[in-house]
Amino acid sequence: MSMSESGGITVVRFDGNLDTNTAPEAQERFDELAGQGVGKVLVDFERLDYISSAGLRVLLATAKKLRSGGGNLRLCNLNETVAEVFEISGFSTIFAVFPTEVEALEGF
Amino acid sequence: MGAVPREAAAAVLPEESRARYSWDLVVLCAVVATGLIIPFQIAFLRRVDVLGSVAVYVLDLVFLVDMRLNLRTSFRRGGSEIRDRSEIARHYRQAGFRTDLLGVIPVDLLVLGSGAALGGVPLALLFRVNRLLRVARALRGFRRWERLRWTNTGYLRIAKLLIGVLLLIHWVACGWFLVAVLEGFPADSWVAKAGLENVDRGSQYLRSLYWGFVTTTTVGYGDITPSKNAEYAFTVVVMIVGASMYALIIGSIASLVSSIDAAKTAFWERVDGVGQYLRARGVPEPLQEQVRDYYEYVWDRYRGADARQLLRDIPDSIRLEVLFHLAHELIERVPLFRHGDVAMRNALLAALEPRVFVAGSHVVGAGEVADGLYFVSSGRLVIVDPSGEPSSGELEAGDYFGDLSLLLGERRTCSVRAVTHSDIFFLPSAEFERLKSRHPEFREALREIAAGKSDKLAELVAKGCIL
Repeated sequence: MSMSESGGITVVRFDGNLDTNTAPEAQERFDELAGQGVGKVLVDFERLDYISSAGLRVLLATAKKLRSGGGNLRLCNLNETVAEVFEISGFSTIFAVFPTEVEALEGF
Repeated sequence: MGAVPREAAAAVLPEESRARYSWDLVVLCAVVATGLIIPFQIAFLRRVDVLGSVAVYVLDLVFLVDMRLNLRTSFRRGGSEIRDRSEIARHYRQAGFRTDLLGVIPVDLLVLGSGAALGGVPLALLFRVNRLLRVARALRGFRRWERLRWTNTGYLRIAKLLIGVLLLIHWVACGWFLVAVLEGFPADSWVAKAGLENVDRGSQYLRSLYWGFVTTTTVGYGDITPSKNAEYAFTVVVMIVGASMYALIIGSIASLVSSIDAAKTAFWERVDGVGQYLRARGVPEPLQEQVRDYYEYVWDRYRGADARQLLRDIPDSIRLEVLFHLAHELIERVPLFRHGDVAMRNALLAALEPRVFVAGSHVVGAGEVADGLYFVSSGRLVIVDPSGEPSSGELEAGDYFGDLSLLLGERRTCSVRAVTHSDIFFLPSAEFERLKSRHPEFREALREIAAGKSDKLAELVAKGCIL
């Protein structure tokens, strides 16, 4: 998991899996961002292979926190497996999902 | 050239049609009327009157029309309906035509005006007896009704038996009186001994009928007994027929009683067997009751049929249509069926397995590996938290679950329990994958539907509830 910041948008990149093992750390980092008053967060899933329910929970909680503070969470570069989970579960309507980072950054 | 067969086909009356069944009922009434009128005329009336003759000829007309209709009624052979007129004619010639023909030939017309008589009975009446062959025609009508199966065939068999017994005893009564008539009521005949020579016909018939019942049912009070040789001979014949008929009636009624509710009896015997086993193995009472509830529900809803087994027996070509009707509630309620094309809907229907859950039973349990999607067709279910609290929401007809654990490849963390008796259609995971890969619109349909329930699902996921 790595982070970078450009133009007021924090870009978070995940590597490998976002599951029970990695979710607590991710939650901590997201909480820190929210605590710092960061509003716009873009999560890049380009290098993410798999997401579990624990990962989904982190994203749901983060999106809720950001929205309550007037911010927003966007997702991009979902691989086929992860995209299917989002599509068939209906989460693609809860989160703003974009095919590429460039598209996600546009108008954020 | 092509128009001829079409016209011929149009003139054919389908064997399995309301018109044909109704006509068979008319013919049955005509058969019973023939069976009652003709022997009565011979034994008790013994004169050719206008009313009786008109009745007989009107009945003849009915049977002439019937023969014509038989030549135009399709028939079934090897599971398919034969509508070809020449085939129909050949079939009719082989089955019943000769008897029908013999039954409508008005032999009595040959001697109608002659006034010839035999033992006081006009030959014109005796020559009407060929019409009794029509009873065979009534049996063919019953066979057609049995195939229609609008009711339990047991009831039809009871009706057939009752009509048969009624006619037979009527004939015995007429025959018994006729024996004395042909002998001219000698002083030692049964009629003379009973003082019935000069009483009204109603009393004569009633006594004869009484003797018919007493003898054929083997009760034999002995108040009316034979004394002439002809009477003894007739009595012996009636005794033989009566004893056979008695055996037939008892046997038939016994088998009818068991066959009318054969399915019910077999089903509840099986349930009793399960109950005895559970009791013997010390299964707790409430659980035993739950098992019984399940069977009661299966009986009420499916008449005890195992839908899965039945559907396996039905060939693929018809199964889809049957499934379509069986799952009509589901199709109306589950939005998934409103999306996608017919091919996808059919593939989905063919892959679904019907399952029944009684009130209080677990549909899926926490810790179980994802095995497929569950579509609720009827009933009410509750999602039970990992803590065991039923506070995560309810599911009802039209809802489905099981998708998230399947997509994530995780074990379920929540359970689903049936609050009321519920019918569920289950889509196994292998079928789910197959549908996804073969029908892209299936995935698209799921996506559209999931969008509508995403908030509910997000709430469950946030609580840690994966189904």
